[in-house]
Amino acid sequence: MTSLGETLDPLRAIFRKQIRHLFRYPGEVIFLFIIPYFLTALVVAMGVSVGGTNAFGNFASQTGSSLNPFVFLMIGSGVWMISWLILESIGTSLRDEQIKGTLEQNFLAPINRFLLLVGTALSQIVITSLMFAGIIVASVLLLEPRGAPGLILAFGILMIGLLPLFGLGFVFAGLVVRFKEPYAFTQAMNVLFAVVTGTFYNVTVLPAWVRYVSAAVPMTIVIQDMRLAVESINLLIGAFGSIFILLTMGIVYPFLGYSLFKQFERRAKVSGDLSKY
Amino acid sequence: MDPVEVKSLSKTFSVKEGPLFRKSVKTVTALDGVSFSVKKGEIFGLLGPNGAGKTTTIKTVCTLIQPTSGEVYVNGHNVAREAQKARQDLGVMLTGDRTLYWKLTGRENLEYFAALYHMDRSAAKERIEYLLKLVGLDERQNTLVENYSTGMRIRLSFVKAVLHQAPVILLDEPTMSLDPQSARLIREVIQDLRKEGHSILLTTHYMEEADQLSDRVAVIDHGKIIAMAPPSELKETVLKSEVIEIEAQNINPQIVEKIRGIPTISEVVSSIQDASSLKGVITVHATDGKQVIPEMLGVLVKGGVEISNVKIATPTLEDVFISLTGRALRD
Repeated sequence: MTSLGETLDPLRAIFRKQIRHLFRYPGEVIFLFIIPYFLTALVVAMGVSVGGTNAFGNFASQTGSSLNPFVFLMIGSGVWMISWLILESIGTSLRDEQIKGTLEQNFLAPINRFLLLVGTALSQIVITSLMFAGIIVASVLLLEPRGAPGLILAFGILMIGLLPLFGLGFVFAGLVVRFKEPYAFTQAMNVLFAVVTGTFYNVTVLPAWVRYVSAAVPMTIVIQDMRLAVESINLLIGAFGSIFILLTMGIVYPFLGYSLFKQFERRAKVSGDLSKY
Repeated sequence: MDPVEVKSLSKTFSVKEGPLFRKSVKTVTALDGVSFSVKKGEIFGLLGPNGAGKTTTIKTVCTLIQPTSGEVYVNGHNVAREAQKARQDLGVMLTGDRTLYWKLTGRENLEYFAALYHMDRSAAKERIEYLLKLVGLDERQNTLVENYSTGMRIRLSFVKAVLHQAPVILLDEPTMSLDPQSARLIREVIQDLRKEGHSILLTTHYMEEADQLSDRVAVIDHGKIIAMAPPSELKETVLKSEVIEIEAQNINPQIVEKIRGIPTISEVVSSIQDASSLKGVITVHATDGKQVIPEMLGVLVKGGVEISNVKIATPTLEDVFISLTGRALRD
């Protein structure tokens, strides 16, 4: 039976290692905060060029949201950037470790593989919180101050949404260990998620069959509910059921993700793929 | 039960070959019925050329690779069924200097791995300080590993392997790329670890190192153990013949074949050190010792080989390998 200390000490070490690593590449941290602003500016510019002088009015009627369009878009692009980071850091960081040779060193340690993944995921909570503050809180306080009280709820929704996202990250990690081709896959998924989760629009504009895909992606609910929380807490209460769907995803996705990861890891041990790149 | 027991270990890999869309799958046998054990307080050397199966053996013992057949036990734990327990009893140093986090300092790396091996924090701190001093890295402990020299990284990697004082230590080419002074230091530490009762499985292709350190040596080639005994016993097997080393220029395969044709010569191996001048060493095993030298030199001179030195050598483990396989370890 593993004691609590035997679980917490490695977990703390993995967490600290990830954080140290992240902040020793300051350029990447800056990139994470800047990109959502650029993406939002890009979409606004495109919207204005297409919609002309009534672009903002059209946007409001199409989305059915009374939020400032910049805030609406910043919530979408912020969550998308956070999901990008998590999927990259859980999946691609294993790949990076595989290339560096440190993945084997971690796999040699007498700890459960789950701790490796959870430790990595936990470190993402810190950076996610910072991104939430630097991207979403900043834009709400600046452009939509009436939505400030809803920010706490929005943060809570984001944290719940991280659970299923970690599950997807575990699947990516398994694919990395097995197929050693994470970049193409994670990039394709990240772009797909940008389309189906309603990062820059309301998912209602998507064809019905695409909306089925959207419903399976946790960020769709996270983005939608965070916008509602900032727009009006009453609106969020109306959509309370979606939180339960998110919670269910938060239980099912990590379980499925880890099961797949273990299966891919077993096959990698047979083929000797752990040390190959 | 000995701390390490390897029983009939076999491993085959499927390797894809050929251009995209026309790849064919080839089965490669990396290990073929390998059996050995490492006793408590013993240094067991695994000696063989590149691709012989040394690293695959180490990686199977340390649970990174699943064997195709056979069983491996570490301190009584089957590595396939009780991998986590086996890993707790193992300290492993894999080849190369890319086994550390380059964006962490030397100390941060060791603290990280100490936590993964469930070391008590204060005990880990003391042990880290002791080991860093021992390998001469104490003054650079707070420097990022990316700023270390290759030798420093390898020393740190070695420290990582012996950090948690595991009863079984696996060292894959521990002195590769080290300067002579650092290599000697690491060899001394390895000998101290043996005195402390650790069982050490060591792979190397440095003959002198295997000879100097190992209590027993297994010679591995093409995934099979072809000889296993203490180094002195292995060398005795080639004492029946004498080893003559000829340093020369213009060495060509035809001449080597001609020497092989001399009846009293059992083995001939040439290794070229300079391809432009065909300069190198011809190693000859002869049953009638010195008497063959005049005939042999005659053949060489006639063939245009410029001889610079001839000496009767004391057999080494390299000679053991030559007599067993007909090839040099470097081939």
